[in-house]
Amino acid sequence: MGKVLIKGKNFLGFEIEIKAEDINKIKKELDIVISSSAHFLKNTIVTLKLTEKNKLYAKDVIKFLNEKDIDINAVVVANKKNCAADVPIIETRNIHLLAEREGEQAATFKGNLRNGQTIRVDGDLIVAGNVNSNSYIYATGNIFVLGNLDGIPHAGYGGNNEAVIFAFSMNPPQIRIGDFITRSPEEGVKIKNRNAAFSEVAYVSEGNIVISTYEEWLKLKR
Amino acid sequence: MSGKVLTITSGKGGVGKSTSSANLALGLALSGKKVVTIDLDIGLRNLDMILGLENRIVYDVVNVVEKACKINQALIKDKRTDNLFLIAAAQTRDKSAVTSEQIIGLTNELKKDFDYVILDSPAGIESGFRNAMLPADEIIIVTTPEISAVRDADRVIGILESNDKTQVSLIINRINPTLVKKGDMMSKDDVLQVLSIPLIGVVPEDSNIVSYTNIGEPSVLHKDSNSGAAYKNIVKRILGEDVPFMEITEEKKGFLQSIINFFKE
Ligand SMILES: Nc1ncnc2c1ncn2[C@@H]1O[C@H](COP(=O)(O)OP(=O)(O)O)[C@@H](O)[C@H]1O
Ligand SMILES: [Mg+2]
Repeated sequence: MGKVLIKGKNFLGFEIEIKAEDINKIKKELDIVISSSAHFLKNTIVTLKLTEKNKLYAKDVIKFLNEKDIDINAVVVANKKNCAADVPIIETRNIHLLAEREGEQAATFKGNLRNGQTIRVDGDLIVAGNVNSNSYIYATGNIFVLGNLDGIPHAGYGGNNEAVIFAFSMNPPQIRIGDFITRSPEEGVKIKNRNAAFSEVAYVSEGNIVISTYEEWLKLKR
Repeated sequence: MSGKVLTITSGKGGVGKSTSSANLALGLALSGKKVVTIDLDIGLRNLDMILGLENRIVYDVVNVVEKACKINQALIKDKRTDNLFLIAAAQTRDKSAVTSEQIIGLTNELKKDFDYVILDSPAGIESGFRNAMLPADEIIIVTTPEISAVRDADRVIGILESNDKTQVSLIINRINPTLVKKGDMMSKDDVLQVLSIPLIGVVPEDSNIVSYTNIGEPSVLHKDSNSGAAYKNIVKRILGEDVPFMEITEEKKGFLQSIINFFKE
């Protein structure tokens, strides 16, 4: 296997993973890989995954790719230390939840789900966008909303009570997981109407749907 | 010449589609473009009144598509400029009187002679809306900062997206800065957060609009009108000028930026 590869769609779009350690070698291999797949990399979200050894070349690599008309949206590394770039640097441990699902069946929808629209999938569903009021999303597995969730989600559709729902900002009028439904107690009032400063996870615990922050949920899982 | 079809639509009724159609049509005409605007709210015509042209109607859009008259005979020339024409809606018929094929045929003819063909859509998401939306090269959605109007706009945007209409922008009409400040009205950013489409203008609440409509003189004709100033800016943006938003710092935070901010610890 080459030292530079473009991985299919990850949760953010495409990921260019570079394992080579020498900058000239990196550029040479990038040239080869890009010539065949540059068209995939336009108009999508592209992240660059670097190792502890080659992360110091982040800026050079991004510039090199920019010259080839490929914009990098973020760099993914294990540890930010000694890594500099003009785009956001994400540590892999912060994409734990999503990385964990890698390899499993997941459908990705990029864009906003609008009033009146519905998505149904077998397996996990990732929405890279907002799920607006009066839209519905059904997944037999987990649901990840990388945006605002104002529509109605049903995770574990068909009876999987272990499924979870993740959203950057969770404000649905109703949440359904497996056989459970929770609804806001007063008509017209959202379940929670907090400042959406924290990502949250909804899951079933002891027969109730519980919502906790992503941080709390991670601790519970460990 | 091959002009553009610009459709003004909204989902919800009474949010300012016809007011916007009249102001943008007149504004573009006064900027030197050749413009024709068609009232597609068949059975509930009022664009003629807003433009002060109701006394001049002889033939209407149904007469044209039924070939009871020539297109030229149904073009009502504006009083103020030779650049603007109106094709009025029929008042005694309903929306089923025209088909989308007929409207596409008509707009294709008009595009040969006009820079802009502005279609004033009826409310709703049924056939009248489809007739207005299908011929469009560009679409402007009008909403007020109210939840019900914004949700209807969201519904319409979803339908436009599934019809591969990608040139869609937004006018937020009837913003009242005092109410926004007090937290009693959705702000421009609240609306954009839900709809996530490019903003082309914000039009303030303007109590004079009622009297402008009564005398058939849209806001853009009134020098001191704040809604008129907002519409003039929208005209410039339609023409490709980069006009900064009044009082408003634009630079909408993209969706990606929000994702990435989340991952930054
Ligand atoms: N910015 C505004 N300020 C005050 N009144 C407005 C404004 N825009 C529209 N209106 C009023 O709202 C009503 C509905 O406007 P109209 O343009 O006919 O809406 P639509 O075509 O969407 O049904 C009219 O009475 C109009 O005068
Ligand atoms: Mg109208």
